[in-house]
Amino acid sequence: MSIRVEALSKKFAGHAAVQDASIEVGTGKLVALLGPSGSGKTTLLRLIAGLEFPDSGRVFFHGEEVTHKNAYERRAGFVFQHYALFQHLSVFDNIAFGLEVRPRATRPHRNEIRERVHCLLQLVQLEAFAKRFPSQLSGGQRQRVALARALAIEPRVLLLDEPFGALDAKVRKELRAWLRRFHDETHITSLFVTHDQEEAFEVADEVVILNHGHIQQIGAPGLLQREPANAFVHDFLGLDFQI
Amino acid sequence: MAGAIQDLTTVRQSTRPRRATEEGPLTRWTLTLLSAGFFTAFLLLPLGAVFAEGLRRGAGLYFRTFTDPATLDAIKLTLFTASIAVPANTLFGVAAAWAITRFEFRGKHFLSTLIDLPLWVSPVIAGLVYVLLFGSQGVLGPWLKAHHWRIIYATPGIVIATVFVTFPFVARGLIPLMQAQGSAEEEAALTLGARGWQVFLRVTLPKIKWGLLYGIILANARAMGEFGAVSVVSGHIRGLTNTVPLQIEILYNEYAFSAAFALASLLSLLALVTLGVKSYVEWRARQQLEQSQS
Amino acid sequence: MRRILPGFPLTLGFSVVYLTLIVLIPFAALAAKAFSGSWLHLWAVVTSPRVVASYELSFGAALAASLINGLFGFITAWVLTRYRFPGRRILDGLVDLPFALPTAVAGIALTALYAPNGWVGALLAKIGITAAFNRLGIVLALVFIGFPFVVRTLQPVLVALSEEVEEAAALLGATRLQTFRRVIFPAALPALLTGIALSFGRAVGEYGSIVFISGNIPYKTEITPLLIVSKLEEYDYQGAAGIGLVMLLASLGILALINTVQWWNARRIHPAH
Repeated sequence: MSIRVEALSKKFAGHAAVQDASIEVGTGKLVALLGPSGSGKTTLLRLIAGLEFPDSGRVFFHGEEVTHKNAYERRAGFVFQHYALFQHLSVFDNIAFGLEVRPRATRPHRNEIRERVHCLLQLVQLEAFAKRFPSQLSGGQRQRVALARALAIEPRVLLLDEPFGALDAKVRKELRAWLRRFHDETHITSLFVTHDQEEAFEVADEVVILNHGHIQQIGAPGLLQREPANAFVHDFLGLDFQI
Repeated sequence: MAGAIQDLTTVRQSTRPRRATEEGPLTRWTLTLLSAGFFTAFLLLPLGAVFAEGLRRGAGLYFRTFTDPATLDAIKLTLFTASIAVPANTLFGVAAAWAITRFEFRGKHFLSTLIDLPLWVSPVIAGLVYVLLFGSQGVLGPWLKAHHWRIIYATPGIVIATVFVTFPFVARGLIPLMQAQGSAEEEAALTLGARGWQVFLRVTLPKIKWGLLYGIILANARAMGEFGAVSVVSGHIRGLTNTVPLQIEILYNEYAFSAAFALASLLSLLALVTLGVKSYVEWRARQQLEQSQS
Repeated sequence: MRRILPGFPLTLGFSVVYLTLIVLIPFAALAAKAFSGSWLHLWAVVTSPRVVASYELSFGAALAASLINGLFGFITAWVLTRYRFPGRRILDGLVDLPFALPTAVAGIALTALYAPNGWVGALLAKIGITAAFNRLGIVLALVFIGFPFVVRTLQPVLVALSEEVEEAAALLGATRLQTFRRVIFPAALPALLTGIALSFGRAVGEYGSIVFISGNIPYKTEITPLLIVSKLEEYDYQGAAGIGLVMLLASLGILALINTVQWWNARRIHPAH
């Protein structure tokens, strides 16, 4: 399942958050949106998810236009920066939520829901925590619950907003490696937002660099470092040799 | 993100799908109209009725209400009562808030619950306890009688009952504010050699002034408008122990409706002014709180 | 323990003396008076049919009014926090009118409005509804009195609800109604219950706004606070004190209930490990 974005623009109260952005994420790829804060990377992710709607431009999932579809119809799995877990529901119920709100006709049987939630708990290595509440988990555990919850609806693509932003340095490193392994196993087309270039370069197949709502350069980590397209990319990546 | 806030006045393009956190226009309009209907039936119409009924017999009669000696006496007594109850409770509120927010001591929770008491106890009971204490058959009744002191069915009783129903407001306005502000600045002032009163007047008071004003305004509105508690202790002696709300009741029960509503319109104006000042002060207090937290 | 900031003995001493004089001694007098005569007589007074009828009315009407306020308070809090329309700020300020308007003024205003010859009462009379001088009138007055409590306890909670959580629910396929029922409502429920309980507590003891609209007919529209006033006017101090004590205990019970709701909510969201 690929993602294609064509000339997407979005303004908030006169301020251009994203301008004329075009990206293509190939099936099974893991791509990072990298940029300083206020560069429009989160807005771009929300436009792709259907949480915002563009002023102009189009969004395609695997060749099918989804620009005018609402968030759920696009079936994108979304992991929020601060996880946005349902505080009053247990870990189990958080993950089962997306299955339980389906209309009766397509809702899986109760036993099947239980089975699928347990599979997901296993996948994110939280089997022992099914009955806990979000407030009883560490940051890294919450992050994985949020991921399992997003995966429960069998999303066509996975979108992650600063997935490691709220974690401390050690957990962050572990989770980073875990996400890469996880992606290699599932091959689900994924796009994640980060402001940390080390993170982007270590995890992603391809990196999209944004600044002031404009895409500066797209390429594999090695290419970006070898051939920065402009002075911003050069400075932002902290490259200490001359172009 | 301001996305959850929707603009009813903007017409959206029909091609754009609804945002994930938005209700459909039908739901939005239904809820808004239900709420507006409730406001009209319970808040706006009663307020309008007070002024309409007061002015029904013309402006002349409306203003003549305020020249009636009994009414003037009631206004004077109300002003007098508020002029004692509000400063007394301001002093108490500041002291209680200082003790509760700046120190740890046993019984703090009890003290703070006690401060809320008038907010949940019936005003009639508030009046009743003073009748049982100071009334002719009350606990202190015989002793007061021997000294020829009158508290119940007299002005002191009205003042005490008013003090009771209004004492939580200043303390309640200050406690959350002072808790949020913390005492770092006071401690800094102490290390610079300031004395107790100087710390309070120069450091604390400027920090809490909007919260203080907020409490004072609410206390004043309640002091001038209290009916139940004052009614129980007043004995309704015309021209002697009638406050404005009691005078309204008397006029109403004597079928002097226009006069009753004219006098009620005065208290309604006070209520509206209170709400206006309250909104302004709330806004300033929030700003002050945000400043102190940033 | 040494205290760094000054004024501890002064402020605490003053507060305690003040509260003792204004609150503790008078309330002790209430208890003393209630138990001054024979206990049997006290029991007979607080359980006499006319008094029991007044409890039923006071608590029943307060319950009805607080539930109505729960519904309309929720809708109003939602509309005021979520939607933008002209006049919103003025409506928001007016929510507190029942706090600021003296109860006697509210009483005569509502009576003028809902009496059979009033603006609204005349309309209601046409469809056969009498809204004043009966129990419905009492409920109307109590709705007015208790309205701000639900709105003001809910508003901060609805503002603080993270929009992301609602977005997460939508992304997982929940309809708007499902998001409301499964995510928003459970999060707002403790505040809603607290608001309803506060409005109930206030309504049980309300006096000023009701005496004008209720008609004050014994066994029918006579609320408990009014009965206390009648007892005082008959110089039955012990009877008044007894009924007062019952009401005070009821209020204490409501306060305990509110604290329980808050404790339960705190545990639900942050259970002990």
